[in-house]
This record gives sequence, C-alpha cells and structure tokens, in this order.
Amino acid sequence: MELERRGVVAPLVVTETFLPLVQAQARARRVEPRLVVVPHPVGGLNEAELAGRIEGAAAELLRMADEARGGA
Amino acid sequence: MSTDWDVVVVGAGIAGLTAARVAAEHGLRVVAYDRLTPGGQLVNLTALHEHPGGTGPELVAALTAAAEGAGVRLAYAEVTRVHPGSPVRLETSGGEVTAGAVVVATGLGPGRLGLPGEEALARRGVSTCAGCDGPLFRGRAVAVVGDDEWTAEEALELAGWASAVTVLVPGQPRWSPDRAARLAAAERVEVVPDATVTALRGEGVLSGVVVRTADGERALAVAGLFPFVGRRGPEGLVEGLAADAQGRLVPSGGVLVAGDARAGAEQSLTAAEADGRAAGEAALGALAASSGSLRIVDPTHGVLPEVDAAPVGAGSTATWTDVALFTNSKPNATELLRGLGERLQAHWGLPELGFAAKENASVAAEKDTIDWLSQRFKMVLVAVGD
Repeated sequence: MELERRGVVAPLVVTETFLPLVQAQARARRVEPRLVVVPHPVGGLNEAELAGRIEGAAAELLRMADEARGGA
Repeated sequence: MSTDWDVVVVGAGIAGLTAARVAAEHGLRVVAYDRLTPGGQLVNLTALHEHPGGTGPELVAALTAAAEGAGVRLAYAEVTRVHPGSPVRLETSGGEVTAGAVVVATGLGPGRLGLPGEEALARRGVSTCAGCDGPLFRGRAVAVVGDDEWTAEEALELAGWASAVTVLVPGQPRWSPDRAARLAAAERVEVVPDATVTALRGEGVLSGVVVRTADGERALAVAGLFPFVGRRGPEGLVEGLAADAQGRLVPSGGVLVAGDARAGAEQSLTAAEADGRAAGEAALGALAASSGSLRIVDPTHGVLPEVDAAPVGAGSTATWTDVALFTNSKPNATELLRGLGERLQAHWGLPELGFAAKENASVAAEKDTIDWLSQRFKMVLVAVGD
C-alpha cells in the first residue's frame, strides 16, 4: 500500500480469507488498493492447483493493468 | 487535560481489539497500534476450536470490523516505550503520542529454545508459525516443542502436512482434555512428555534435534522444528512496570494490561477476549475518574482525517516496461506471483520482470526495498495476504 501512496501501480494479490484484513489496513492507511482476489488458501497447493489460481486471477490482473496503463 | 487520544491500545490482537472496541463504544477517542497487521499471531491460526469465530483470519476480520465500526482508529507503527502518567506518553516508530489511558495487549513474543545455532536456523527449518510454514514440510517429519494449548493446536495443524509430528513436552502437557483427545486421534502425531531438546543439528538447514528423556538422549531426524516455549511478554515496554518470570506485565499505577501480556493470564482466546472487555471498561472508568462527571465527546472521533490522504509522489521516471514482483515469501506466494507475472509479461511483451522479497511474512517491508521498488518500477505486483 505504501507503493500506491508513492504513485506506483501496485495490485495486491490477496486470498478471500484475508481480504477483510487487507481492506482494514487500507482504510487505516487511507489507500484504495487495487485488489486481485483469489480463493484461499495458496500455501500448500500442488502445481495443478496453483495453476488454477493463476488461471483464475490472470484475467482480472490483465484488465487492471491495462486500465492503469490506459489511464496514465 | 488535552491528549492526542483518550485511550491508546498497544497491540491489535483479540484482547487489544476488544478493549479498543469497548472503549470506543462509550464515545472515547481510541487508537489501536499494531506493528504490522491486526490480529497478531491469531492471523496464522487456520482453525479455532475454542472460539466460535471460524478461522483466525475470519475472527480477526470480525474483530477489526467491529472495532472500526465503533470508531477505533487502527495505526500501523511499533510502540517502543510507554511512560505512565497524566497524560500517558508513548514513543512509537511514527512519533510520540499522548493519551489519558493505555491498554497494553501485545501478547507474547515468539517461542525460543535458547540453543546454539537457533537463530541461524530460523526460517531454515526452525519456525514458530505452522500456518505460515507448515506447507513447506509436506511429507516430512517435524517436531513441536511446548506444553500448552497453542502447542497442541500448532501440532494438529502440522499433522495436515507433515509425515510425522513429534510433540516434545518439557514436562507434562497442560492442554485441555479435548485437545489431548484430538492429538491422540491424529495418526501422525506422537506426544513425548518429559522431553528436552538439548541440541540442534544441521548445516545451513535443520536436519534434526537431540532429545533427552528419562531413557537417555537420542537423535530425532526432523526437517522442521516449531518451538513454543520461552515465549516472553513485553517486559521493559512500560517504564517502571514490574514483570513476572515470563516477562508478562503486572498491571499497576493506572496501566492496564490485557490478554497474554498480563501476568497470570489464562492463555486462551475466550480469556483474552474477556480480558480485553474488562480493560476497555476499566479505561472508561479511569478516564471518568480523572475528568469528573462531565465529559465532552468529540463527534468526529474515528473519522479519518483528510489532511494526509494525498498520495506521495516518488518522482520516479519509470515507464510501463518497468514491472516487478514483490513477494511476502509465504509458501507458494512467489510461485503465484511468477505465474501471474508471466501472463503480464506475455500480454505486454515485457523483456523482463524485477523481483524483490520480504525476508518473511511476519515482518514489515524494508524501507530500502520500498524505496528501490518505487523509484525503479512503474508497476509492482504484490503478494500480500494468503
């Protein structure tokens, strides 16, 4: 979040479980974070499961990145 | 008496967030400080068996939402010293603040065996967070050292990953019959009472420990070691406040202490929550006693100020080809980031991606790392929470 405050486009990859905590931190830091939310958990996934997380999150990340670049 | 806050709570775990919420619900101006994130070690517990709060993160999220809803301001800075008095003065990594009352709810520090080589093997086999590092030991043997509820809970969590979990108890277990039954039912868990770890083995990474029991000393080959003994309270944090043998504070002189940081506290979530509630009410009482019956409540308490809401520009000359990944080093976080980074790299035709990592998820990012990323890159994909 400090990166966003410094003007860097910094999407945060966060699991659904931790989303409320990240949002609370964002409010406290007065930042509106760009969030890429993935299902919980990430740790302990095997290769195929991890590939599924990547596949599921990639479209949102690319959309967010294109939007940030286009609006710059 | 004019102070920055009515109540400052040091530590935003279950006790601290509860104390803060209770005080704020009575109209007090309350700030809860935490070094990194709300919840403390509770964030790392994936299952709660003594509290109807779901997982650790879910409980922390609920506590955080309730505190914020009551008007508590969360602040992310380390409180390094508390000076009791009227007002209470607190030194923090973000500067000095004053308050009418303080609640210390820092919890306990991480476990330590105090053996030679332990520091060098930290995060190289020695860990104090099963939820964080358990997946690293999938299919491998680990040992857990301790005798309390937290030890049992971490052992049960590790049993979901490790091939074998040996719980080395330096005496007799103190955990509840319910946890004893669940440990007994776990096929991969063995509890060894009256066991002392006398040495660590391993060059660069942990390969085993030496254990002494009534039968003598033996080597135990383990890839992971999770010590939950030697956890200490925040002794020295509060000027002039006594501590017990475990470094837990003895409340006196108007300083309120809640949760595991308090001498004599029962180590459980429900006890910490009750302790926090009592501390929040005690803070209210202390302020009422010091200010008389008339109290003017600030109607804007809890409303975030606008003055510092503006983004801080870094003056960077980076372009959209300058993209980096920044991982918190949790298991699979780096792999997830690299996978997403490769997609972006292909999508934008980027020649390369920068990379940075925190040493581990339990520490804040180094300022130098943030400086480097903000000056060198236009976009940074961050793995922040899993």
